Amino acid sequence: MRQSSLRFVAIGGREWALLGAVILASIVFSVASPYFVTAGNAGTIVRNSTELMLAGLGMTLLLAMGSIDVSIGILMGLAAIAVAHALLASVAPALALLVGPLTGAGLGLLTALVVVRGRVPAIVGTLGLLGVYRMGVFALLGGQWLSGLPAGLTELLSSTILGIPLSVLVIGLAYLAVWLALRRTPYGPHLLSIGNAEEKARLSGVPVTKVRIATFVISGALTGLAASFYVASYRNVEMAIGSTLALDAIAAVVLGGTSIMGGRCSLLGTALGVVLLRILQNGLLLMGVPSLWQPVVTGALLISVLALELPVSRLGDMKEKWMQR
Amino acid sequence: MKTLLKLSASSRILLLLAALWIVVILLFAALRPTMFSASTVTTVLQFSTILALVSLGQCLVILAGGAGIDLSVGGIVSLSVVLAMTAVKAGLPPALLPVACVAAGLLLGLFNGLLVTRLRILPLIATLGTLFVYSGLALALTGGAAQSGVPAWLLAWGRGLILSLPVPFVTLVVPVFAIAAVLLLLSAWGRWLFAMGFNERSARLVGIPVDRVRLLVYGLSGLLSGLAGLVSLAWLGSARPNIGQNLELESLTAVMLGGVAITGGVGGVGGVIAAVILLVTLKTGLLQLNVNTVWQVGIVGALLIAVLLIERLSKRWS
Repeated sequence: MRQSSLRFVAIGGREWALLGAVILASIVFSVASPYFVTAGNAGTIVRNSTELMLAGLGMTLLLAMGSIDVSIGILMGLAAIAVAHALLASVAPALALLVGPLTGAGLGLLTALVVVRGRVPAIVGTLGLLGVYRMGVFALLGGQWLSGLPAGLTELLSSTILGIPLSVLVIGLAYLAVWLALRRTPYGPHLLSIGNAEEKARLSGVPVTKVRIATFVISGALTGLAASFYVASYRNVEMAIGSTLALDAIAAVVLGGTSIMGGRCSLLGTALGVVLLRILQNGLLLMGVPSLWQPVVTGALLISVLALELPVSRLGDMKEKWMQR
Repeated sequence: MKTLLKLSASSRILLLLAALWIVVILLFAALRPTMFSASTVTTVLQFSTILALVSLGQCLVILAGGAGIDLSVGGIVSLSVVLAMTAVKAGLPPALLPVACVAAGLLLGLFNGLLVTRLRILPLIATLGTLFVYSGLALALTGGAAQSGVPAWLLAWGRGLILSLPVPFVTLVVPVFAIAAVLLLLSAWGRWLFAMGFNERSARLVGIPVDRVRLLVYGLSGLLSGLAGLVSLAWLGSARPNIGQNLELESLTAVMLGGVAITGGVGGVGGVIAAVILLVTLKTGLLQLNVNTVWQVGIVGALLIAVLLIERLSKRWS
């Protein structure tokens, strides 16, 4: 059996290639547009990346487990509404920051009940929940914007500890927590073995149901944290919130080299994928491509990455056959 | 014996759907008695036409198994109408508008099929990607504006009535579903489809050209979406770049409600058309009660989950 198919990647060819792509894209765009290299634009890219980075961490776990959640965008919307109402009720900003992940974890548990307990295929179950959640957002917002939210959370997240902005610290901690869970606890191997072959994992004693439920809850909590960041940076919530978050997250994770067929997972790849995706979107916008083209570009990128992976994996299979002779 | 069992299962689903349909109608009758008229029947069938065609394609894709699903159907509907209308504006004879629309749908569907069969991309990811590419292209090419200029003869077909039944329903949905039912039940090709969905490995071993059939099925799903786009053109009189919105959710709900197993190999087209009519009746009733479309999406989503949960539970009990 192929032992190598179960693996965590620290830094490998994929990550170097992504780093190269990030640098290349930056050079191309800075030649194409004088605004690209300004400090203001770098700030925009970083700010636009934060939610996707957090949601992408959760999506990495889901895809590595051979699962998916297409409802995360609107899940973020619901959590953002909860955070916004907490702020409006003048809850302390530190507590409001926690409202997001808590709401997200609760909704993640609901998703897990449908998908894991109810044994509904993840894509169909989360597509149904997407409709239900969208109705929830509409019912809660009543067709209006929640705008002019108090600045408490914004100030909290931009305050610095030892010269590091708290937002960076929180994202770093989230990344570290997921990394530790994957690399230093049984959760990681369990997750990947489920992604590789769920039935085999079950037979070899992996608590499949628990791990799957936990993963949906973790992904929900991370997306909920993304909602806190969203509210902090935009200070409003509108109906169309998060409409492309799921696509962006899936594209970034696939770009990062996490295998959808399960069994391979790279957090660093996801992080680089997020940065690359946001740089591409930002650069195209600066070059005058209307934002309506963004889903087209992201979707095409997703498909072409998967299409390009085929020759590489075929090469690997051939090499393996060669070695067996 | 086996066909007898299958028949009884499918007629059970039809009976269940009919019972549900009567419940829905009684519910609306209690809430708003005025909505019962011949024009409501016309409206329901008019709305059903688009969803029925798209759901048939979705049904074939899911029946063929292999984790088959076509999330891009709505994108194909939107993009095929936009492409066909753009082609006519660029000088294509208007007489060829239907051909252009259907051909665009077929090509977009075949592209999905190639991604799935040649490049071996998981159907749900491949069609999720193309959903955003197609629907994004439809919006980006038009800037979100509806494209008018549908020839009058097409409007006459799209808006005409035969005995207060919409012409597109009578001339398109009825024959297409009849052909599909005959093909699925009586032709070797239909047997292949069920065999693939039931057990792909043994289907390959007995020599069924699984990949070719699957490519064709995705192509057919695209073609049917193109037809649905054509109906929308002929009915609404313009190419709306967002006409296919939420169709992936609605078609999946209709197919699941119609008794098709998500794993493939089990189901038929009769349940699908019954489920489409039930779904559209529900939506039309909600529309007449002035319920916002977002609520309709939510109700359809909840229905999808409920159907699947009930299916699982009933399997556990039986």
